[in-house]
This record gives sequence, C-alpha cells and structure tokens, in this order.
Amino acid sequence: MNTNRKPFSKDILIIKNIEEVCEKIITKLKEDLKQKLHRRGAVVGISGGIDSSVTFALAVKAFGSKNVLGVMLPERDSSPDSKMLAEELAVKFSVETLVENITGALDGFNCYQRRDEAIARVVSEFDPKVDKSKIEIKQDIAKNIPAIFSITVIKPSGEVISKLLPAREYLQIVASSNFKQRSRMSMLYYHAERLHYAVIGTPNKHEVEQGFFVKYGDGGADVMPIGHLYKTQVYQLAKYLGVPQGIIDRTPTTDTYTAEQTQEDFFYQLPFETMDLIWYGWENNYSASEVAIVMDKTKEEIENIYKSFERKKKTTEYLRMKPIL
Amino acid sequence: MENIKELVREYISGAALSNLGDIKDDTLIFESGLLDSMGLLFLIEFLKDKFDVEVVDDELNPSNFESINSIVDFIQNKVQSKIK
Repeated sequence: MNTNRKPFSKDILIIKNIEEVCEKIITKLKEDLKQKLHRRGAVVGISGGIDSSVTFALAVKAFGSKNVLGVMLPERDSSPDSKMLAEELAVKFSVETLVENITGALDGFNCYQRRDEAIARVVSEFDPKVDKSKIEIKQDIAKNIPAIFSITVIKPSGEVISKLLPAREYLQIVASSNFKQRSRMSMLYYHAERLHYAVIGTPNKHEVEQGFFVKYGDGGADVMPIGHLYKTQVYQLAKYLGVPQGIIDRTPTTDTYTAEQTQEDFFYQLPFETMDLIWYGWENNYSASEVAIVMDKTKEEIENIYKSFERKKKTTEYLRMKPIL
Repeated sequence: MENIKELVREYISGAALSNLGDIKDDTLIFESGLLDSMGLLFLIEFLKDKFDVEVVDDELNPSNFESINSIVDFIQNKVQSKIK
C-alpha cells in the first residue's frame, strides 16, 4: 500500500490545475487523430447532456470549429430539451450541426414494438399509446446483493405500477432499447466516413468501468477523451470550457425511456458526488473505515458499496472485451 | 427439505458451471462469484417455475438469497405462508 498517499477527503477529486488537464486531453486528442487514427476531423453525437457537451467542447478546442461536426440524434422518446440544449451548445462553439431523427430506423427494427410487448407481459394494464414507462433499480446499493431491475409504468392519471422484471422480459426490454444507441452509432459512422472524420466517444470513467454503455452502441467510437474522468470532474471541465449553464444544471438522464429517468435511478444507485468519492476510495484501496468517516456512512455500508462496485465491474467485463481471436 | 436443497444446489451448480460438491450449504453464492445479477434473475425465474414462489422487491435481501441455506429457508417460508 502507498503510505505517502493523501488522506481520504471530500476534496480529493477536485482538479486543481484544470487548464493543464484540459490541455493534456486536447494534445492527446490531436495526436490520436493525426498519428493513430489518420483522420482530418471529428464527429460527436450531442445529446444536450454533460458528457457529450464536454467531449464536444474538447474536440472543438483540439481541432477547431470547422473540423468538428455535431450530430443530434433524437427519436420518438427523446426529451425536447435534449435537442434544444444541444443546439445551444453548437451555437456557443460555432460548430455546424445536423439533426438525424432515428425514429424511422427504430421503427424498422421494431424497437418500440419489441420493448412494449415485453412490458405488457409484465404489466398487463400497460397501454404504450398513453402510458409512460421506465426501468430502474429500486434496491439500496448498501444491501449486499446484486441489483435487479423493476419496470415502472405511469398511467395518465398518475397511477404508478411497478413490478420486478423477470429475466426474459428484462433482457428483451434492454435488447430492444439498445437499438437506439446502436442506430446512433451507425449514423455517426456514416457521417464520419463520408467526411473522413473520427467518431469521438462520450462515456466518462463510470460509464466505461461500470459498464453503463451499449456494446457497439455508445461504446462504439474511435477515441474516448473523458473516459478517465469522474463525473464531478466532467462538471469541473464543463465550467472551465464554457458549456452552457442549462446543460450543467440539467439532471443526468438516460433519455431512453418514455418516463423521466435519472441515471442514478436507472443504474448507479448513488448520487454522483457520493459515487465518485467512494469509487475513488475503492480503486485506490482506501479502507472502508477511512471512507466511512468522511462520507458519513457506516463501515458496513461502504464495504457493501465496494462489493457492489466489484460486482458491476466484473459482470460488465464482457462489454469492454474486444472480439476474441 | 433435503429435496428442495438438492434441487437448489443442482440449479446453482448448473448455472455457475461448477461441480455439485463445490457448493456447500453456506457458501456465499454472490460473494464467491458463483452467480451475478443475471444469475440472480435466472434464479428467481427458477424459483417461480420449480416451486411457484414469486419474489417481490422487498424480499431481495441477502438474508433470503446469499446461500443455499438462506434460499431454502426463503422457499419454505413462502410456501408456508401460502398454505396459511
């Protein structure tokens, strides 16, 4: 164990030399594009979320606004805020954008129909024409048991029906929803190839390491410049790079299901500020007792959260694997 | 009870691709990495198909699922409460 390391504290992840960190990422992006990828510009899918906005801003700083294309990829279930915020971002950085609505492609895959059929098998009262739905983890992360998803249906009257998802239906809902990320990836590569650009991926460190991405969907990109940054650090960069305040203030959502759904409810089970610090403690071998005192939790809670991180990292290894040759 | 226990052991060893004898009654099946979250989901499906036991959100506790012993107790309690 490294005995010279800093004592665990709530400030441990704050980037002190933000300019230097940004410059390092920008320099590496330029090198990767020219020396490894041999491309002449960058395509970034922009969703109005914090990660894609920071990635986009870094790409503009690296390659110049004339060599970056921002692509908005809304579909039937997307929040209108996503497009509005993405447009604001593009205007701020003077970058050309395109809107590619992927609803037709998703209809072609029967994405919505396959998802709604699975939901209706679990919640017989589900009416996809008027009801909203989402999947979420309702368990406490501090319980030492793997996470299981529930389906929640919200009727127009406000009535909420929530049930644990059986394996078959869970897998069908996820598999059909993943058409969205994979269709977006296809469209981004279409534009990248026609322009001889590279696709810049937007996942942050948690998404990469906890497996909160779709294999060959948003996980399909040529380079991921913020893949090593904690979410709170992404926010720090956003402020420094001048990302519009509306994007910084927006609660991170999946923007995948018809009902409002935060990333915390869907996957992480912890607020970002808390998760970042405990993840840092876990990966840097800080003892549960040391982290518990700072985070105002019990040692047992931290131990169970550490175990949950271990499980997530292990069960999502498949997503990060390259094809086996 | 022995029958239930052996059925559960057989299921878990099959799902985990491990030898029957390697899984003791008190082996912690998630901590030891025998089953992951999808494994738990398929286990819940097995309990429904084999014993007509339905699991609800509040019952997803380590005390009900962490080992063969705890799963067998959980099944028995659910079956008993159905009979009552």
